Amino acid sequence: MNRPKVLQAWLWCVSLWPCWLPHAVPLDCKDETGSFTQCTSISQEKLLDRVIQHAELIYRVSEESCTLFEDMFIPYPLHYLRNQGGNLCHSKPFPIPGSKSEIQQISDKWLLHSVLMLVQSWMEPLIYLQTTLNRYDDAPDALLNKTKWVSDKLLSLEQGVLVLIRKMLDEGILTTSSIFEHTLTPYNEQSPEMLESILRDYNLLICFKKDAHKIETFLKLLKCRQSNKLSCLSY
Amino acid sequence: MAYSLLLSLLYLGMLCGNGLVSARSELFTPDPSRGPHFTGCRSREQETFRCWWSAGIFQNLTEPGALRVFYMTKHALSEWQECPDYTRTVKNECYFNKTFTQIWTSYCIQLRSVRENITYDEACFTVENIVHPDPPIGLNWTLLNVSRSGLHYDILVRWAPPPSADVQMGWMSLEYQVQYRVRNNSHWEMLDLESGTQQSIYGLHTDKEYEVRVRCKMTAFDNFGEFSDSIIVHVAQIPSKESTFPTTLVLIFGMIGVVILLVLLIFSQQQRLMVIFLPPIPAPKIKGIDPELLKNGKLDQLNSLLSSQDMYKPDFYHEDPWVEFIQLDLDDPAEKNESSDTQHLLGLSRSGSSHVLNFKSDDDSGRASCYDPEIPNPEDLATLLPGHSGRGDNHPLVSRSSSSIPDLGVQQTSEVKETPIQKQPAVPSWVNMDFYAQVSDFTPAGGVVLSPGQLNSSLEKKKEEENEKKIQFQLVSDGAYTSENTARQLSANVPSSPGPEQGYQTFPTQAVEGTSERGVPGCPPSDSQMPYLLPEAPPSPILPPVSDYTVVQEVDAQHSLLLNPPSSQPAICPHSPNKHLPAMPTMPMGYLTPDFLGNLTP
Repeated sequence: MNRPKVLQAWLWCVSLWPCWLPHAVPLDCKDETGSFTQCTSISQEKLLDRVIQHAELIYRVSEESCTLFEDMFIPYPLHYLRNQGGNLCHSKPFPIPGSKSEIQQISDKWLLHSVLMLVQSWMEPLIYLQTTLNRYDDAPDALLNKTKWVSDKLLSLEQGVLVLIRKMLDEGILTTSSIFEHTLTPYNEQSPEMLESILRDYNLLICFKKDAHKIETFLKLLKCRQSNKLSCLSY
Repeated sequence: MAYSLLLSLLYLGMLCGNGLVSARSELFTPDPSRGPHFTGCRSREQETFRCWWSAGIFQNLTEPGALRVFYMTKHALSEWQECPDYTRTVKNECYFNKTFTQIWTSYCIQLRSVRENITYDEACFTVENIVHPDPPIGLNWTLLNVSRSGLHYDILVRWAPPPSADVQMGWMSLEYQVQYRVRNNSHWEMLDLESGTQQSIYGLHTDKEYEVRVRCKMTAFDNFGEFSDSIIVHVAQIPSKESTFPTTLVLIFGMIGVVILLVLLIFSQQQRLMVIFLPPIPAPKIKGIDPELLKNGKLDQLNSLLSSQDMYKPDFYHEDPWVEFIQLDLDDPAEKNESSDTQHLLGLSRSGSSHVLNFKSDDDSGRASCYDPEIPNPEDLATLLPGHSGRGDNHPLVSRSSSSIPDLGVQQTSEVKETPIQKQPAVPSWVNMDFYAQVSDFTPAGGVVLSPGQLNSSLEKKKEEENEKKIQFQLVSDGAYTSENTARQLSANVPSSPGPEQGYQTFPTQAVEGTSERGVPGCPPSDSQMPYLLPEAPPSPILPPVSDYTVVQEVDAQHSLLLNPPSSQPAICPHSPNKHLPAMPTMPMGYLTPDFLGNLTP
């Protein structure tokens, strides 16, 4: 009689083991020396503020990179392309609403997941962008530095968002690899045409700026909801 | 495939989208030269937007409904839809409300004439790129501080974000720009973008009216909204004349006090100041002997001064006093004249006996002349003598040794109290002759016998009597060694004397020791014989005995000449040792005073 009960209990515990995992195993943080230590705890509010700061910075730098690239490589008649917001940005696994009302109706979970998805979707394209920019003869150093900086910051932003997800949503996401298919297939192709390559890079920068704006907006909305739900939901 | 699509879109956009969105600053200015076109699209709060168009030159299309706007979003499966709301109050305006407004999506709008089915204009954009925020509200200012001078002040300007912009939710993040200017001025001062809702303005002038205004835009976008209403800032200058009054008074009083202090200082330190500003002209200082010293007569100081000034050579001064005297003698012009006279008198040609009488006259050192190797060989002298039969050995005039004649190291020197001074043709040589005592013979002991006749005085300080002696010995043969004339004279005198030998002997009676009985050096000759080498001596003693010359007896180790040492006198004078000696009073060692010599004269 006891044995099946014990076995059941044991099975139950084993089945719930994945749920314990994110709580049992704390996230390892890398300190200055590079060794893995237990992360110092931080309040959710502070973490959200930091994430928002990251997002704001990334957004500003993306805009500056776009301007730099435009001034250097894009002839003036084609500057209107910027206002068009990028024609062929790579599509996302799930559509993101554009209207304020719709966005206000998005749940926190959806917001965070969208942010994470956006961040992850841009990691590889940015690396690609760095290589292409290096290929240009007269690419300004500021542009190259900014692109590199953004790539680095994106990684930290991803980590922050993951922690947020875990804290706010109590979810554990183990996989961090990008699983997106990039519609812009010729990332690895060689583009002999200069104008084509330039326009493609320009488009990439515009799309990235747009997505950075999205990330910032979502995170700010999230913060607003954390502090004062009523004002954020008011219409 | 994607690239071809992109390129086609690009070209299309180039054709169509130029007018609307690229020229953002040219909104609301319809171009009359063109046909129907969009004049601009704007969104205020990123939730709605409006678009305007113009009929242009086509006036027939101005009636409403002639031109219609169609839009399309870049979503998949979208089609051209007509403007959701044509604003009734405003002409040619299409209003998209919240339901139709989506950000992060591209819109394309077209201006069509439905009747003709012609698309006059097309534009594509995203809503966030056409957002022009409303101006901020609630602009006010507060005074921060006023500078000490009261001429400048700082203010803090505050405002509130536009109510239409949902900043709290984070839907719009705004940046603000403050501008100010002096009232009615045309130039606006622009400050940096500010994310917050307040900003400080520094360095405003008092008594000036300023206008301040603010506008905002979305972060990372370029479209500024309208300016807010300007506010007037004015701070009146506080009149601070009272503060200036004491300062001037203080300055004046301070200046007066400083002047008074200066005057007092000058008067108190007058003397010193006079010295500083008008220094006394120093009297010329001549380096040399202080006349005061000479007046005081302090010889020690004078001597030290003189010696320090290196006028005298100390060595000579101490070691060779006789050299000095000789020098003085040399310098005596009278002597020189007389020597020249003697020269003339004797008719002595220097050239004739130059090789004999080659005395150095230019030597100012008596010692040098004493040891002058050019002193003529006595043998040569003997040859000069007429009637010389080659008896050089016994020649009284000739010394046995051809070595240096005036060997002052002679141990046995003839003792002659009175030694003639043989006048030299030249003064220096004459002076030099003072040292020279002709060696007449050698003693068996090896001493050199100096003939008293030619014996010269030394160590005598007969400067004052030198002139006298010179006159007396004018006719004396020049040189210690008789010249030819002198020799002739001597030889002439010889017959008068007993034999030449004797004559010679008598001549240098004292000098010859062994050969003549009378020739005893150091002993005074017989009364008839005069100890002076004078040609006229035998007939008549022309010259009184010279009292101030003596024979150099010895030379000390300290180079001092010893004259007439009392010990040697008795040994040397066998003749009449007692003749003169007792008559000779004791005399100071080495010196014969004139008085003493006067006593000795027979």
